[in-house]
Amino acid sequence: MSEMKKIKNLKEFSTSADRFEGANLLCPGCAHSIIVREVLNATNDDLVLSASTGCLEVCTAVYPYTSWDASWIHIGFENGSTAVAGAEAMHKALKNKGRLKQPDRNPKFVSFAGDGASYDIGFQWISGCMERGHNIMHVVLDNEVYANTGGQRSSSTPIGSSSTTAPAGRVSYGEKKNKKDMVSIMASHNIPYAAQVAPNKWKDMVKKIQHGFSVDGPVFINAVSPCTTEWKFDPKDTMMITDLATDSLVFPLYEIIDGHELNITYRPKNVVPVEEYLAAQGRFKHLFKDQYKYLIKEWQERVDANWSYLNRREEARV
Amino acid sequence: MANKGWDEFEIGAMLRSFDGVSNDIATTQQEDRNYSQSNSFVASVADWRIEKPIFAKDFCIDCQFCWIYCPDMSIIARDKKMIGVDMDHCKGCGICVEVCPTNPKSLLMFPEQADEEAELAKWPAKVKETK
Amino acid sequence: MAFDKMELRDIEVWDGNFAAAQALRQCQIDVVAAYPITPSTPIVEGYAKFLADGYVEGEFVMVESEHAAMSGCIGAAAAGGRVATATSSQGYALMVETLYQASGMRLPIILNVVNRALAAPLNVNGDHSDMYLGRDSGWIQLDAYCPQDAYDLNFIAFKVAEDHEVRLPCMVHQDGFMTSHTAQGVKTLTDDEGYGFVGDFKPMNDMLDFEHPVTHGVQTEEDWHFEHKARQHNDLMTKVMPKIQAAFDDFEKLSGRKYNIVEKYDMDDADVAVVCMGTSVETAREVATEMRAKGIKAGVVGIRVIRPFPFMQIQEALKGAKAIATLDRSAPGGTVGMLFNEMAGCLYNLETRPMLSGKIYGLGGRDLTKKHLVDLFTELQANVDAGKITTPLQQFIGVRGPKLSFL
Repeated sequence: MSEMKKIKNLKEFSTSADRFEGANLLCPGCAHSIIVREVLNATNDDLVLSASTGCLEVCTAVYPYTSWDASWIHIGFENGSTAVAGAEAMHKALKNKGRLKQPDRNPKFVSFAGDGASYDIGFQWISGCMERGHNIMHVVLDNEVYANTGGQRSSSTPIGSSSTTAPAGRVSYGEKKNKKDMVSIMASHNIPYAAQVAPNKWKDMVKKIQHGFSVDGPVFINAVSPCTTEWKFDPKDTMMITDLATDSLVFPLYEIIDGHELNITYRPKNVVPVEEYLAAQGRFKHLFKDQYKYLIKEWQERVDANWSYLNRREEARV
Repeated sequence: MANKGWDEFEIGAMLRSFDGVSNDIATTQQEDRNYSQSNSFVASVADWRIEKPIFAKDFCIDCQFCWIYCPDMSIIARDKKMIGVDMDHCKGCGICVEVCPTNPKSLLMFPEQADEEAELAKWPAKVKETK
Repeated sequence: MAFDKMELRDIEVWDGNFAAAQALRQCQIDVVAAYPITPSTPIVEGYAKFLADGYVEGEFVMVESEHAAMSGCIGAAAAGGRVATATSSQGYALMVETLYQASGMRLPIILNVVNRALAAPLNVNGDHSDMYLGRDSGWIQLDAYCPQDAYDLNFIAFKVAEDHEVRLPCMVHQDGFMTSHTAQGVKTLTDDEGYGFVGDFKPMNDMLDFEHPVTHGVQTEEDWHFEHKARQHNDLMTKVMPKIQAAFDDFEKLSGRKYNIVEKYDMDDADVAVVCMGTSVETAREVATEMRAKGIKAGVVGIRVIRPFPFMQIQEALKGAKAIATLDRSAPGGTVGMLFNEMAGCLYNLETRPMLSGKIYGLGGRDLTKKHLVDLFTELQANVDAGKITTPLQQFIGVRGPKLSFL
């Protein structure tokens, strides 16, 4: 086990040398990049990375340029987790056979994928990786929509948001189903660590990523990634929207250890009404029409109920 | 990279991040790295910007909020100090300005054509908090 | 960690699946990522047992689908080591997306394909539908006719695919059940001979070389994609055949067993010839000999290397024949069979321009009998005698109901 990188405060963190480069093609204000930086900078160990098809992948490895300073692979939309699992298996094999070129290294294996690539098309692949116990970390860049292809709904898309395949219209308020609880599903594989993170709470994120790197076995991380293009807000407001997401408890920050021990890791001093979170984004604009205002009330009730559920789980230690 | 013919590049469309051997990249700052011509670090997205951030060093407290929240690795921090903006990689999103906590702000957005010295000379004064 | 060598008899009685599993063991694979499917499952089971008994070391990843099997193989191969798996039919179909990715990334993965029909209707028996499905995927494809071939061709596959001038994945095909589950005598190599032939794996562009970080699986659009595909095709067309021939030559020196890119049988003076693949080659050879006794100069051309397609070698093999029939064991889906198409391409520019007709046979494991082949050679001789093709160009053999023919 290599020594954990010491990151006491932001000043110390800022001495990190990024292994993710600029002049990638992500939109101005994209949160994906902020999340990737916080994950990669949480360690100084070598990295083997993958990205499933999606915004991050198509914007960071467009020939003849790569934005990655560590080994990186993309295969397809559904199988980024398995790509890294294969590499991890090879590392284990070569280590046992004494054939690693740099045997003293302690590489981390990380797969990045969007919610479409994780909650939908790659679900089975990720489940397989979690169940088999690979020493990998799967990080979902959860922007609740197929952003790369122009904003179609995924099973992470929340009720009432307007997407191109579940648009709000004269007789529809958009998405009818609430998002899948992916963190719980993954934790139910009894993996050593699952957590929800947000890039605004960088210290919480780095702590969780470092914990994830320290455990033996698969780790699942769900990172909220506000999408300036599809959530429809000004690029400069990415962190403000992220603050609203965590402080309204729409995206509560918590971890689940060994599949059962749930800890809430962030309790906002002032909880913001969900209405403020919704009002800040164009994808929910139609909910503020008279006939849909009941949905905002339902939203708040749902978020309250989920927060209460998380608190009860934390208390019960189950 | 010039448009090469089919027989002129590496098989498998494989790209290398660096030329030669690279070690300890996680602790080597950009200026000391041997980037390959295939690393997007050598490219520029400056022409994406409509507005650009200008950095007023005098007001900066080196909190590094701009560094941590910059999506484009464009806030240059060295030895725990904020020393400037990488204008080849900044896309002009304006997040750095939004998250800057100083009063007045140490970073502000200006039209791409604005003159840095002129804008620094007329930087806004401290705004009094009204309660 | 260490592993034990296995003492083999000079000749073992193995079916094609176990022969392939033994070859994989002797090649000392670093990572096998696999998923079971009939009839290839015993390859994976055999390998798992070798692992459980301490006869191999390496990682055996039992994944949750064939797509994940090839995905894991790609990740492992890109990381830098020897990688192999096995599949059939529907599993192969599920894998197809990743087949193109493996070859496009130039990763030398070995895939044992135990050929089986494709649904619907569902069928577990051997035909060549799956083998045909992958023929544009940019892989090298070798075809075994019997368990001995299935064993030997795995060594050839690793030797060729992993060569740094090649770096392309390779399939070793064998017929489902007819080869995979039929035990025959298989002449063996010792563990040292087998491993010595393929040699140590030499990594290239490996992700686990942390001093040289690499990016694999980039995006290329209209400004780069064509050049990359052209490069891959060029390497398939120009670099692979000489390496296969060299590997065949080396293997003959080691084992005494001679393989050829195109397997000619009695073709030197043949008037009539059948072109086929898989187990049918052996049946056709037997019947051809019998036809010779009846005065018909019959020969057989077996395709050993399906991709890259041995265009020139086929031309050479068939240039003297007068009437040729292709035997395609796959439903052609609205056109002529693949072999008919390929032969037409090979023969059209020959001055001798032999007569060419095509047969569809054996779908879903239906037997190809000697009677079928006797009739076929007789029909070809009738064409020769008449100086023209006397039958429709495409006929189905062995199907019940009214005679089925087209064109």
